[in-house]
Order: sequence, then C-alpha cells, then structure tokens
Amino acid sequence: MRSQLAGILLAVAMVWPGVCAAADIRLVTADGAITEIVYRLGLESLLVGVDTTSGFPEAIAALPKVGYLRALPFEGVLALQPDMLITSEQAAPQKNLERLSKAGVQVEILPSAWSSEASLHRVQTVGGLLGKEAEARALVADLQARIDTLHRSAEARGYRPKVLFVLAAGNHSVMLAGKNTAAEALLDEVNADIAFADLEGYKPASREAILASQPDAIVIAESVPGQFNIDNWPELQLLDAWKSGHRLQADSMLLLGFGPRLVDAMAAVNEVLPGRQGVANR
Amino acid sequence: MMLTPAGRLDAKPALLTLGSVALAVALVSVSSGAYPLSVADILRVIAGKEAADPVASMVFLEVRMPRFLLGFLVGAVLAVCGAVLQGLFRNPLADPGLIGVSAGASLAAIAVIVLGNTWLGGWLALTGDWALPIAAFIGGSLTVLLAWRIANRSGQTAVATLLLAGIAINAVAGAGTGLLTFYASDEELRSLTFWTMGSLGHAGWDDLVLGAPFMVLALVLAPWLARPLDAFLLGESVVGHLGYRTDTVKKVAIVVVGLGVGAAVAVSGLIGFVGLVVPHLVRQALGASHRIVLPFSALLGGTLLVAADSLARVVVAPAELPIGLMMALIGGPFFLALLLRTRVM
Repeated sequence: MRSQLAGILLAVAMVWPGVCAAADIRLVTADGAITEIVYRLGLESLLVGVDTTSGFPEAIAALPKVGYLRALPFEGVLALQPDMLITSEQAAPQKNLERLSKAGVQVEILPSAWSSEASLHRVQTVGGLLGKEAEARALVADLQARIDTLHRSAEARGYRPKVLFVLAAGNHSVMLAGKNTAAEALLDEVNADIAFADLEGYKPASREAILASQPDAIVIAESVPGQFNIDNWPELQLLDAWKSGHRLQADSMLLLGFGPRLVDAMAAVNEVLPGRQGVANR
Repeated sequence: MMLTPAGRLDAKPALLTLGSVALAVALVSVSSGAYPLSVADILRVIAGKEAADPVASMVFLEVRMPRFLLGFLVGAVLAVCGAVLQGLFRNPLADPGLIGVSAGASLAAIAVIVLGNTWLGGWLALTGDWALPIAAFIGGSLTVLLAWRIANRSGQTAVATLLLAGIAINAVAGAGTGLLTFYASDEELRSLTFWTMGSLGHAGWDDLVLGAPFMVLALVLAPWLARPLDAFLLGESVVGHLGYRTDTVKKVAIVVVGLGVGAAVAVSGLIGFVGLVVPHLVRQALGASHRIVLPFSALLGGTLLVAADSLARVVVAPAELPIGLMMALIGGPFFLALLLRTRVM
C-alpha cells in the first residue's frame, strides 16, 4: 500500500514534470531523516550533496558527502552551489550556517522531531519548502493512518513494558539509553518505558546494571548493520527477555531518526514487546 | 645535540627563501578550497571592483582571510612556544603537547563550556566573551609551572622526570576532560568535539579578535628571551653568571607559553607536533642560537600550519579533515625519525 502510493507519486512526478515541478533547485540535506523525506517525496534528483548521517536509501550513496552535520564545512557546502540547505537543529557550527545564508543559500533549520506528530509535521514542512505540499499531505495521511493503527494496538496491551535500549556505535562503545533521548521518545510512541529511567542521555553500559535491569524487552540500535556482536555481551543473553525472544536488533538511523520510516521502527519495536505483563520475567 | 656551534646555512639567504615560500603558501592558501576562487577573482576583490562576485568576495574576505591569518598566527605561536620550552628545559623533546600544556589549556577551556552554566557561572559573568581564552591561558600556565616544578631539582632539569610528568599530566587532564564529556549534555558535546581534533573550519574575524591579542603578546615577549635562553644552553647556573635573573627568565618563559598555547588552544583546539617539529628543523638548518631559532620558528610554524590547513580542506572536499589530524599525520612519523636519530647518536 505504502510502496504503491510512493510508486504512484513517483510515476506522476515523472510523467508530469511541468505540473508537479518542485522548483528546479540544487538541494543539500544534512540530517538522515530529512534526506529520507526528500527521497520519499520523489525529489532525490534535486539532491547535489548530503551529510554523513544520510545513509538511506542506498541510492543516495553516490552523492557527495559534506561531512558530519555537527561539523558542516562552509566552503564544502558552498562549492556544491546549492540553492537550499535543509538541516536540523543538530547542525553546527552555527557560524558556518550563518555564512551560508549570507552567501545566498536558503538555509532551513528544522526542529528535532521526537514524536510521531513532530515527525509528520516535518514531512509536511519539507514538502512545503520544495513545492510538493499535496504529495507531502498524501504521504503524511498514509503514515498517520498506519501510526494510528499502531498506537491503538500498543494501547490495547494495557501496560507499559520496560525496555532495555542499547545503542551500539562500535563494539567497544556500547551505550545505554536513559531519559531525554530519542530512544525514550520512540518507546513512548509504542506505549513502553525505558528501563534506565534514572539515567540522563546515553551513558556507557555497565554489565551489572544490565543484569539487574530485568527488562520486558531488549532493543539494540546499531549505527552500522551487524556491528553489535552479542558474543561480547553475554549478560544480555542471560536476561529472560533475550531468552524468550523479546528482542530487536536494528539500524539506529531507522530506530532513532524519526523520519518517514518512524512507523516501520514503531512496528518493529511493538512486535517484540510481550503482550502480557511478566511474560519475559517468568 | 642542541649545541651546534655554527649554523649550516646563512641566516639571510635562508630568511629570503623561507619568506618567499611563506608568501607562496599564503597565496596558495587563500586561493585553494572547496569553493572555486581564481587568483583573478581574488585580485578583483582586493582591488575593490564592483564587478567582483559578492559570494567570491565573501568567501575571500570573511572566510579565507581570517582563516589564513588565524592559522599562521597559531602555527607561529605554537612553534615559538615549542622553541621556548625546549630552550628552558634544555631538551629537544619538550613540546606543549608532550609535557601536557595543551591538555591543561584544553581541560580549562572544556570546563568553561560544560560547567559555564553551573559551577563556573561566576567566571563567565566576570570575563564575558574572554572566558575561554583566559581560562585556557590559566590552564596552560599552571601546567607549565607544574611540569617545571616536578622536573627541576636544585637547578637541574631531570629530562626523564619531565617526560614522565608530561605523561601523568596528560593522563590527568585527559581524565578530567573525559569526566566533563561524560556529564556534558548533547548540546555541549557538540562544542567539545572540535577541541579534541583541532580545527580552523569555523575561523572568523571574531576568533582573531579574541585570540590574536594573547598570541601577539606572546610573540612580542618571546624575543626578549632569546639571549637568556642561549645562556640556558650552557646550564642554569651560567645564566646568573652572565647577568640574567634566572627567576625572571623562567617566569617570562612560562607566561609566554601559557599565553601562546592557551590562546592557540582556545581558538583552534588541540594541534600537536608544530611545537616539536618546527624548532627542531630550524636548529638543524641554522644552528641553536635562539636569536635565529625564535623568529625562524615563527615563520616556519605559521607557514607549515597554513600549508597543512590548505591541504586539510581540499583532500576530502566537500568535507574537511580536522587540522589536528593532519598535523599528527605529518608530525608523528617525524617524531619517530627524531627518536631513532637520537638513539643512534
């Protein structure tokens, strides 16, 4: 359904370029989720450069990379001669963004979206910026419907499971997610809580804390697919949630990006949450 | 090995050569970057012609010029500070990075970023925009002083002690930095990343306004140290016999290094090896007299850093390599070669 819709949108955009013409501009995006939105709106042909957090879909891999969105180079971006740069609040340094705007690049800084509502709003904003309001509205409606269904299913569970959320950015840099993180926000969308609610932000994992946590489910976000090697973390395998299969290992950009794939992330997490309280804990 | 009796090259022709190289590097630096800007464009901008492309004029005047000046100043100051430390400790391995001065300065700067809203609020209120460079200066000076106290026993500098103390100081400052990183919020972490690798990617006129006074002061004070440092080469007891006040010389040296390294770290983060490699090259080519070593180190240090920065911004264009990384790539192998040579001799 979703891919059909995207296909139709794409076909329409190709057949009637004059009608659907988003302004014919050169675009740079610096934020993986925003790049995904541009792609889902069928506007990837506008892209002349992306940042290093933009790794999905693979079709954009060939585009010039302007570096990490938190260290955007002024000349590097300007050299691509973009008309517009769309990025998020995470972009830095501020000075280079100001310079780009002074050099005539339209710099659009979108707020971080840590809820389904804000995420969909961002889709609409990007659509508006690129002259694709109608397409964006259709995409939002489709995503909204699927998110509503998931919300209902998560509510129906009748309790909020406690989820151990692990962020793996390399085998030796394994972090536990605490409060005020995108991980907490994602869990909230599927009516679940973060296991380490006392922790602020992401902190290095303590093996004993993992053992003591006894979560209902485990979610592992990897910055590179296949990066997390469970053999290095035997504690996780000792948890009941792991043994009973209430676990998910997925790409961190999918889980924490809050882009158009948010609904897929929600579905994937929701799927591994135990339906009844205490299932995972004997 | 520092007491080369006579220079191998004459100073005057060497100055002429290095000066021309510096000029060439300056030209290459302001005309290279991800954004295409021809020499003709630059000349038009300099001439103030209205025909100049406004974006080209902005790239040149507000990005490349301050970046070039800041890079040159930082390179010059780091090299001079390296030369002063090497003279003071009578050891060619003394370097702001190795004995922990850079780490001390950066710890102080990071403390200001992370604790500025809480424990150090009073400091910020007191110093305003200057909070970072002044904190870095104090951190740098205290570290030089500490290294000096630890390594000096009754007028003798124990070299092994100095280097070991440097390792310990680096470790403690690194741990402090790590601890602050641990407690830093996402927002603060963002501003921390560049300290660890060093960068000129954000350089603007405001950085120059902030850092240049300290760095220029260090460069102005340094020549006063040239003759006393030459006396230091003969041993600390000789300094007094030659009519210099040993204590004053040391204090000025510590202030110069604190000011210079502190300000350099404050505006560009951690950039290693310039302070080690440059004075060494100068001594090998021109002899050990500080009246030669100090000015030539400044010129060569500035030139080298500007050259490395020009390279750093084109090799992975449109992205940029951190300049600290670039210098470590050049300086690391050089340092190894230095160690091997010393062992042979």
